Amino acid sequence: MTGWWSKSWPVMAWYATVAVGLIFTIAPFMWAVAGSFKDNPQIFSEVSPFSLMAFVPGTDPSAYFAIFQNNFGRAVANTVFVSVISLAAGIIVNSLAGFAFARFAFPGDRILFAFVLLTFAVPPEAIAIPLFSMMRQIGWFDSFWALIIPGIANGLVIFLYRQFFAGIPKELIEAARVDGLSWWHIYWTICMPLAKPVTIGAGLLLFVFQWESFLWPLIAAPSPELHLIQVALARFATEFSVIWNQQFAASTIAGVLPLIFIFLFQRQFVSALTGVDLK
Amino acid sequence: MRSDKHVPYLFLAPALLGLVLFRLYPIFLALWESLFVTGFGPAGGRSFVGLENFQFLFEDFVFWRSVKATAILTIIINPVQIALALGLALLLQRKSRNIRLIRSLFLLPIGVALPIATVIWGLMLNPNQGLINGMLDVIGVSPQPFLTSEAQAIWAIVLIATWKGVAFWMLFLLAGLEDIPKSLYEAIRVDGANWFGRLRYVTMPLLRRTLLFVLVADTAANFVLIVPMIILTQGGPRQTTNVLMYEAYRSGFIFQDFGRSMAIVTLLTAITLAVIALQVLVLGDRRGQDK
Repeated sequence: MTGWWSKSWPVMAWYATVAVGLIFTIAPFMWAVAGSFKDNPQIFSEVSPFSLMAFVPGTDPSAYFAIFQNNFGRAVANTVFVSVISLAAGIIVNSLAGFAFARFAFPGDRILFAFVLLTFAVPPEAIAIPLFSMMRQIGWFDSFWALIIPGIANGLVIFLYRQFFAGIPKELIEAARVDGLSWWHIYWTICMPLAKPVTIGAGLLLFVFQWESFLWPLIAAPSPELHLIQVALARFATEFSVIWNQQFAASTIAGVLPLIFIFLFQRQFVSALTGVDLK
Repeated sequence: MRSDKHVPYLFLAPALLGLVLFRLYPIFLALWESLFVTGFGPAGGRSFVGLENFQFLFEDFVFWRSVKATAILTIIINPVQIALALGLALLLQRKSRNIRLIRSLFLLPIGVALPIATVIWGLMLNPNQGLINGMLDVIGVSPQPFLTSEAQAIWAIVLIATWKGVAFWMLFLLAGLEDIPKSLYEAIRVDGANWFGRLRYVTMPLLRRTLLFVLVADTAANFVLIVPMIILTQGGPRQTTNVLMYEAYRSGFIFQDFGRSMAIVTLLTAITLAVIALQVLVLGDRRGQDK
């Protein structure tokens, strides 16, 4: 009996710790999603006195209708627009640069690549305020230009493509050159199709960065017609701070799309974001 | 192949132009504009004042309180996040039947935007009707003020940022753990080392570089933590969460004093670089020692 215990207590302790960690991680999601389908008196009544029903979804979708009557649809549409354009432009611009770093030796290549690496060490928040000042000077303040253009060039995405393109066999490229293909053709018809796994990870990264951006759209495009989804959510949280079910509904909508994509392409996303390959 | 010479530059041009204009130039712009004061209103002109913005800052107790809030947050949040990330990595390193699913669930907050995490946790921590106080009540703990309390607000911010961020840092540590050769563990096991011995003499020394990277990157990220302050505390109560990043935001976008805002951004960048340099100097590889 004691032998069994001394052997299995680490396993039980492991499961117990994992369970506590998972509850802490997941409870906020469950409470928010469950509450988005309830009316506010029900949300409050299940919290005090506390009942596990707080984590069971209700059946009332009215909070969702209410937020869309409050212009949330506009924010969703804006965010889809901005994220998709950023994704498309970001893939092309950064993969071109990655291709140049991977396939050419040219004067200044090392120092330029070092510069690219340094740019993703700079947190975007740290330059948001001067960048805002720059947008005012060039007249992009409060426009879609300000929301989209500054985020397109991305050092991390350049790096990901460079690593991939550097691994394509030299012979393949040289054969294509001998056949008379232009560099553009080699890039577009040979290398980009091979780079599909990188494109999935990097595209998801660009999409999610835009979808989840907050400080930049808050200061660079304050007009309500230009609000992106996170800014609209924050507005709900401050303007309608007592209407909890609408905050839950807005949070759910703002969170669900990236979560679905990330869940489907978890491996590509994690390896693009961190360089870690989950097994 | 002479005609190829311009090709790499053409391929690079759009991306490099973007990085120079929107990543590099703003750093210098902050430095430059910190030397000006802006007049009120959109038409307000600016005038060159040299280092006056900095001088005013150093004489301003609000600024020093903000420095203090930043220091407190930095000292609390980074060790907490790294210790938890390491603990989680050690926990999830174990091979278990459902480990892939368990890892995926722990990674969920990485996919959630910080504003969402902030809004939901703001309601969780609501002093009157929040879920946490409801649960505390079950185990007989009286309701806590959380974000509305001078003593607890900074901890509530740490909680929100940690819930959102810890899995991300854990990933690097988990990868570092999986790179450690299993043979080292077997060797020290033969020597009779227990779990703590293995942690002390194998895991920690070999994880050192990864830990340093995570410490530096996490510190830099937390210096610009601002979303929970914008949405929930506005720097309060009594400026206890008014960190430098928020003070810079507030100076510019609430008080329209962009010179001051840029001066704070410049100082914050300098402080960040100094702290990171210190971390690397103190904790970085000292060849010939330790091993």
